[in-house]
Amino acid sequence: MSFCFCLSLSLGGLFFTILQHLTRAGWSVVVRRVAENVAGVLPVLAVLSLPIVVAVAAGWPDSIKDVYEWRGFDPAAHVAEATPAATAHHLLLKKQAFLNPTFFTIRIAGYFIIWWWLVGFFRGNSIRQDETGDPGLTSAMQSRSALSMVLFALTTTFAAVDFLMTLDPLWFSTIFGVYFFSGGNVGFFSLLALTMCLLHRAGRAQKALSIEHFHDVGKLMFAFIVFWAYIGFSQYMLIWYANLPEETGWYLIRQEGSWKLMSLFLLLGHFVAPFLALVSRWPKRDPSTLIAAAAWMLLMHWFDMFWLVFPHAEQSVVSADPRLDTIHAAALVWTDGLQCVTCLLGVGGIFVWKMARNMASASLIPTRDPRLHESLAFENI
Amino acid sequence: MDISGRVNGEFDNTWDDPQKRSPLVPEHYKFGDVTEQVCGVTEAWRPPKAWYVAFAISVSLLGLLGAMIVYLFFTGVGVWNLNNPVGWGFDITNFVVWVGIGHAGTLISAILFLFRQKWRTAINRFAEAMTIFAVICALLFPGIHVGRVWLAYWMGPLPNQMAMWPNFRSPLLWDVFAVGTYFTVSALFWYCGMIPDIATLRDRAKGPIRRFAYGVLSLGWTGAARHWHRFERAYLVLAALSTPLVLSVHSVVSFDFATSVLPGWHTTIFPPYFVAGAIFGGFAMVLTLAIPARQLWGLKEIITARHLENMCKIILATGSMVGYAYGMEFFIAWYSGNPYESFTFLARAKGPFAWAYWTMISCNVLAPQLFWFRACRRSIPIMFFVAMCVNVGMWFERFVIIVTSLSSDYLPANWGGYRPSWVEICTLLGSIGLFMTLFLLFIRFLPVIAMAEIKTVMPAAHGTGAHAFDYNPDEPKEHPQVSEGRQ
Repeated sequence: MSFCFCLSLSLGGLFFTILQHLTRAGWSVVVRRVAENVAGVLPVLAVLSLPIVVAVAAGWPDSIKDVYEWRGFDPAAHVAEATPAATAHHLLLKKQAFLNPTFFTIRIAGYFIIWWWLVGFFRGNSIRQDETGDPGLTSAMQSRSALSMVLFALTTTFAAVDFLMTLDPLWFSTIFGVYFFSGGNVGFFSLLALTMCLLHRAGRAQKALSIEHFHDVGKLMFAFIVFWAYIGFSQYMLIWYANLPEETGWYLIRQEGSWKLMSLFLLLGHFVAPFLALVSRWPKRDPSTLIAAAAWMLLMHWFDMFWLVFPHAEQSVVSADPRLDTIHAAALVWTDGLQCVTCLLGVGGIFVWKMARNMASASLIPTRDPRLHESLAFENI
Repeated sequence: MDISGRVNGEFDNTWDDPQKRSPLVPEHYKFGDVTEQVCGVTEAWRPPKAWYVAFAISVSLLGLLGAMIVYLFFTGVGVWNLNNPVGWGFDITNFVVWVGIGHAGTLISAILFLFRQKWRTAINRFAEAMTIFAVICALLFPGIHVGRVWLAYWMGPLPNQMAMWPNFRSPLLWDVFAVGTYFTVSALFWYCGMIPDIATLRDRAKGPIRRFAYGVLSLGWTGAARHWHRFERAYLVLAALSTPLVLSVHSVVSFDFATSVLPGWHTTIFPPYFVAGAIFGGFAMVLTLAIPARQLWGLKEIITARHLENMCKIILATGSMVGYAYGMEFFIAWYSGNPYESFTFLARAKGPFAWAYWTMISCNVLAPQLFWFRACRRSIPIMFFVAMCVNVGMWFERFVIIVTSLSSDYLPANWGGYRPSWVEICTLLGSIGLFMTLFLLFIRFLPVIAMAEIKTVMPAAHGTGAHAFDYNPDEPKEHPQVSEGRQ
């Protein structure tokens, strides 16, 4: 979960970097390096993905079969006919061509190779330009940005399918990749706003970063909050309205018991409250408010990931041992909660460490970008 | 290339240099040149001959539309070949297509405005006009397909003594509200943005009728700083209001299909996929109209090659999103393990409507791939060809979605074919007539380019141009288009 959280942030950074080249943006030059540094964590995330990938590939420890149910699928198993288990067996048999450890490993490796290459290309050339000041590098990045965007879209979609959607191997939704992408961008823009404001407070890049850039990043954060809500609503509304059993199960477990409150909290905290808070002009132009909003959204994005992952983990624990009494279940929830926090601290810590290293290794802004002057002079009117 | 940026007499600004932004308008242009060129379109004593030819054809088609509607009303919806199971055919296809075309205008004016894409200024006005006319065509179809048209007002929630209300849970009703709102806001936005330009026309008007008409329409605009201040605030607010509308309208249209349980209709990606498709089809229509218009009225230095290239890129980008959605649908149809879903998708590609499906794929997915190549984005014939392909392809996309899914659902006993009647085909042609008639009248009588906005993106507006304000209307002018041959 924490891994997906960080992954989505980095992918958001990568998306932003590619997008700026694709649109030949001028205003964003001074904030682009931060995005490149966030994307630059991807190689470390490749290493951090190993526990998941190796566990799936090796089928060890056994608990991976609780996490990814399809990993524990045995095609030869005999199940009683006309039961839910038989249906599941039948479906998993059909999906075996996609949901098998070998192909899973190959896919994940493929995504990271592509991302690594994209980060290397865009971040590398940007840093190279700091030294050479060669505008040709900008042209080169621009000309490759379109194809990179296509690669990015495909890899991100399927990464979302692989890591998150297959947690429930029977469930499916065509919009899922877009949902992951939209949430990741909310997280990324929050992180970007937070980093910029903190850098500014710490007295770094003060001449380059201005309230105008904060305002624009705030606008993008706001836009993606709304976009996330739009995508989330589209998915929920259509599944709710059609009410087909093979789809509603996914939402059903999120509407029962304590998850009901959590789902409502997600709606309020991830959309309603920030929407109201950020819709005006001034909060985006006031660093203190922006910092608070960005920190909150970062937290909410983490909660969104929690909401995507955890109901399945809980389901598998409960289904594994139906005799669990309430005290045990409560104890499990507490240890789970503790694990969540420690895991976030661990993975998040590594993420921040790598991001900080990236920031230290190159100038904080692309000092010789040919469009730097546009960005420096940029004003919202 | 000479000093004014012309190559072989054509203004070329498609070059790309990261150190310098290429100009959107030739650098030697003064504000007055823009006014002269744009006002010239409507002030000319006679429009070009091509306008008359196009207008004659359009009005004839409009007459055909009227005849078809009269025939429909007096005979009944049976004149359309709609029956079980295909209860929606050309009518809803045309509705979705026209609403879709209506998306580009507001996207250009609202979203590109918020994204500070300055090149939108040359194309926003007529794209917005196109939006409004397309939505008028779209609104026509649900109105006439209801069977008992004299009760169409029941779609509105009118209090009545029978306490009868429309079904608020039906996406079809949401459609009425969504498209209605969209039409209202788009029309307001279009008109609001046009006020300064209408005032320009008023000030230059020679005849009393023109002076009076433009005078009324320009709402007493004087160009005072206070007017501009209010205007810009209003414009920003309308842009912010229209932006969610661009997304919501076609999302709601997609709900018409996606809230059902029909295989091929019910899939969660429908809302963003429909929106991308709408923008895709809308931009193709903008290109289709812009290419002949700039040629006929000599606007090539205002709607420049770079504008066209940018539109090609947007077509490529939104076309890729549509391709992504096609791919995702196919993947999930297989991945879901649902035999009905996979059947529907295979039936589209191989069944009785395979010809429509492959037309759609080649027009929507294959043709825009040409735009990966710079040469294709700069060649007018290729651009026009691709735009026409997309126009056709997007019509077929809706046709494929609607008809294939309806014709073969869960029960084989319930399957059936569909073949449009001549009335349906003539109604479609007639709606094109309605659209073109309105558009041609617009070109003739209203400012086709947002002059005031173009001027804000010219260097002169930022105090860097050499001849910012030395425009004297009495001075004999050398028209930039005329001087082309001398280069």
